[in-house]
Amino acid sequence: MAMPFDYPDTTPDEALLAAFAAGDRAAARVLTMRLTPRVLAHAYRLLGNRAEAEEVAQEAMLRLWRQAPEWRAGEAKVTTWLYRVTANLCTDRRRRARGGTVPLDAVPEPPDPQPGVAERMQMRTRADALQGALGDLPERQRQAVVLRHIEGLANPEIAEIMGASIEAVESLTTRGRRALTEALGTRKEELGYADER
Amino acid sequence: MPMSDDRREDVRLEAFFEAARATPPEPSPALMAAVLRAAEGLQPAAPRAPLTARLREAFGGWPALAGLATAAAAGVWIGTALPEAGIGAAEAAYLVDVAPELAFDLAGDF
Repeated sequence: MAMPFDYPDTTPDEALLAAFAAGDRAAARVLTMRLTPRVLAHAYRLLGNRAEAEEVAQEAMLRLWRQAPEWRAGEAKVTTWLYRVTANLCTDRRRRARGGTVPLDAVPEPPDPQPGVAERMQMRTRADALQGALGDLPERQRQAVVLRHIEGLANPEIAEIMGASIEAVESLTTRGRRALTEALGTRKEELGYADER
Repeated sequence: MPMSDDRREDVRLEAFFEAARATPPEPSPALMAAVLRAAEGLQPAAPRAPLTARLREAFGGWPALAGLATAAAAGVWIGTALPEAGIGAAEAAYLVDVAPELAFDLAGDF
C-alpha cells in the first residue's frame, strides 16, 4: 500500500484514525504516542491515582481502536471524544469506589521536570497540592477546571466534552477556581508563594 | 497600579496550574505496550488489492509484465505464423535427418 511509514506532527488525529482503520500500522503507533500521554494525564487529574489512571487510559484507548472503523469524519475531534470517554470512565470508577476516597499516598511521584532542583521541588510540591485540592472539588467543577486550566481547552470545546452549555462551563470553572484559591490559600507558606506579589 | 486581590489570587493559582502542566504523569512502558498491543489486535486488516494488481506485483510490476507480454506475443507468432510460411525447396535441401533410425518407417510395415 502507498502509505507513508510515518507522519509529520501536523497530521490531524482524524486523518491518522482513518489511516488506522484502513490497516496502516504506522498510524497506530503515532496515535498511541500522541494520545496516550494526554489521556493518562487527564485521567490522573480527575482521579488523583496513578495506577487507576493507567487503567482508565488503557481502556479509553481500547475504545478508540474499537471506534475507529465507525468513525465519521467531521463529527467530532478525536481528542474531544477521548476526553469525554476518559471522564466517563473516571466517573464510573469514582462511583464504584464511593465511600472510600483515593488515598493521598497513592499519588505517585511525578517525573523529574527540567528546571533546577529547588524550582523542581517547588513545582512538584505545588502540583501535588493542586492535585489534592482538585480531589476535593465536586466532580463537574474538577473536570471543567482541569480541561480549562491544565489542558488549556476553550470553553466551547469543554462544553461539548461535558455535554453542558458554555455558561454552565464558565460557572463551573469560576466556582472551581474560587474553591481552589481558598483551599490552597491556607498553605501559602509551605507552598513558597507567601511573598509573591 | 497595585494589583487587585482577585488578580493576585489568579496569578497565584496560575502558578499551580503551571506546575501541574510542567509535571505531567509519564505513561509507563507497560501502558504504551498494552495500548499498542490492543491496536494491533483490533486494527482492521488492510484491504486486499484486486487480483490484477496482485498479479502485477507478483511479476515485478509493469515493466516486467510488459516484457513478459512481448515474449508471449512473440511465442504465439512464432508458433502460428512460421509454419504457414512453409519451407521452400531451397531450405529443405539444408535439412538433414540426424537420427533416421528413430523415425517411424510406416512404409516398412506394409
